[in-house]
Amino acid sequence: MRLLIIEDEDRLSGILKSRLGEAGFAVDVAGSAGDANAALEIINYDAVVLDLGLPDHDGLTVLTATRRIGRNLPILILTARDAVEDRVAGLNAGADDYLTKPFAMSELIARIKALLRRPGGVLGITLEAGNLSLDTIGRELSVAGKPVRLSRQELAILEQMMRRFGRIVPKAVLEEKLYGIDEEPDSNTIPVHVHHLRRQLQAASASLAIHTIRGVGYILAENQE
Amino acid sequence: MSRRVKSLQLRLTLELAALFFVASCLAVGGLIYSASRTGGSLIDRELGLRAEDLARYVSRDATGKPRLELPPDLKQAYDASAQRSVFAIRDKDGRLVEASTPEVATLAVRWPQADSEPRFFGLTGLGPSGQDYAGVSVLLDSAAGPLSVMVAEVSGGNQLVHTMLREFVFDVAWYVPLFVAAVVLLAIDSVRRSVRPLRAASAEARNIGPGSISIRLPEADVPTEALPLVLAVNHALDRLEQGFAIQRQFTANAAHELRTPLTIITARLDSLEGNGQLSALRQEVGRMNRLVEQLLCVARLDSVALDVSTPVDLLQIAEEVVGSMAHLALASGRSIALTGAEHPVRITGNADAIADALRNLIENALAHTRPGTEVIVEVGSEGALSVSDSGPGIPLADRPRIFDRFWRGKGARSEGAGLGLAIVMEIVRAHGASIAVGDHTPCGARFDLRFRAA
Repeated sequence: MRLLIIEDEDRLSGILKSRLGEAGFAVDVAGSAGDANAALEIINYDAVVLDLGLPDHDGLTVLTATRRIGRNLPILILTARDAVEDRVAGLNAGADDYLTKPFAMSELIARIKALLRRPGGVLGITLEAGNLSLDTIGRELSVAGKPVRLSRQELAILEQMMRRFGRIVPKAVLEEKLYGIDEEPDSNTIPVHVHHLRRQLQAASASLAIHTIRGVGYILAENQE
Repeated sequence: MSRRVKSLQLRLTLELAALFFVASCLAVGGLIYSASRTGGSLIDRELGLRAEDLARYVSRDATGKPRLELPPDLKQAYDASAQRSVFAIRDKDGRLVEASTPEVATLAVRWPQADSEPRFFGLTGLGPSGQDYAGVSVLLDSAAGPLSVMVAEVSGGNQLVHTMLREFVFDVAWYVPLFVAAVVLLAIDSVRRSVRPLRAASAEARNIGPGSISIRLPEADVPTEALPLVLAVNHALDRLEQGFAIQRQFTANAAHELRTPLTIITARLDSLEGNGQLSALRQEVGRMNRLVEQLLCVARLDSVALDVSTPVDLLQIAEEVVGSMAHLALASGRSIALTGAEHPVRITGNADAIADALRNLIENALAHTRPGTEVIVEVGSEGALSVSDSGPGIPLADRPRIFDRFWRGKGARSEGAGLGLAIVMEIVRAHGASIAVGDHTPCGARFDLRFRAA
């Protein structure tokens, strides 16, 4: 997986390169919008990490230029500007996600992976989180290498949760993914499926657990017990 | 004048009223004066004519002595008005020829001889009623030689002047106070109408504050005299707004400059392998990150006009914040829940700021409760937002001070800088919302925010 980091602060880009390298990415660094555009033309990157404050142009110009030529690769914005307008401008210009400085490196890595886990993304075929591994084509789950049998609905719920690992999945999203437009889900079905799924993960001694955030949805996170 | 009248309207009115009063007094006084002068000279003329009349009827009798022989009608007139008109006639040697009354006769003989130039005089306390007289004495030629003729008339009796004055006062002068009143009323109305745009401008000025610096005073309809002031105020506001913009820019720059090195430090520390000291260092950096974030948030709230006019959905904001903080809550062994409204709750405000406030309240709750407890966020359909925890609660004595900047409760763990609740308060204030601290049953603290419904 090849990433392009567009960041003019040398010390930061150095650390990003080494930490993302450790996380298993091949990383190139561009220090200006000009370099970035040149690199993007030659190499087919899997994702881009873009700082908005660049010496030659605003980072947003790289974003719009990339989107204009039809490149659909995931772009994550790094910014010290946390005003809503800046974030809205970034997302409207075609960014897929943003992080404001200062950020935790683990969060950056998790977010890049989440972008790559999207359907059509590089990691979209086999999802990995904790000691779980889900083959989205073969519809098979293994925990710590051992296969676990799940129902169709449980697999669908787990896939959604793994694609948004560490972030909340609203109940409404699960209902949308599980049922067609004509099907009217019973308000109790999702909690029942989640309950079963949770028990099976626990039985398979998974390092992750599904937590209920009352009133909002579910989140796949480290098992606290 | 040491105490100046500040009201333009009152001053104009008072000065105009005073001016009109003085002018009217002068005019009336002048009229009365010239009327009485005219009246006076008429009387003088009358007296002179009467003296000549008298002289004309003096002739010599058989012994050659001068003698007054009035025609019957004149004699009747003098007899009838003996108390009002008196006369005395003497010959050139001072001997009395004739007098209207004996009293006048005794007076007249003591007087010096008159000369041909008429001399006007006053007499006081004459006759039985002791009236005042005004008269003339003049030396006139007659058939019996030069005579000294004195004629006097009761001075109060100059009916003509009195009648004239009375008529003047009743027919004309009563217009003056009415006229003054009308002018004053007109002046009041005119001044009031011309200061109305100024009142509108000051009403507008009342709305100007750090949060609404873009308001300008209306320049239309402002009187020309006040326009320079209004323009100057508007230009001053332009400069202030520029100042705010510069400060905002400074805050944004400071944010950028501080965040990048902090990110680098955090990233380097993350990549180091080490003992317990390293994790203590990581904690400290984490604390510093949070503090810088909060300081920047405070600086931003102080310097930037918060736009609180956007329609937002309180439920959606709460869902996003609770969702984004769920991981943090779980990682610290606590849980978080969102209850209450199930449909959008429309209010007017700033979504980002409200999210900031909620985030700070949740962080606060997570920091003051034991693991295993739940923080509950509740959204009410009428624009209410509350955060409850199951911690020790907030002592009554501390409640008035918890929103002060850098205030920290006794025995509080050293993580917080005491800015979180101050930020919440600023945001609540900017929204014109209210916040109340209470108890959560069975234990814990509860913060209740109430926003104005859209």
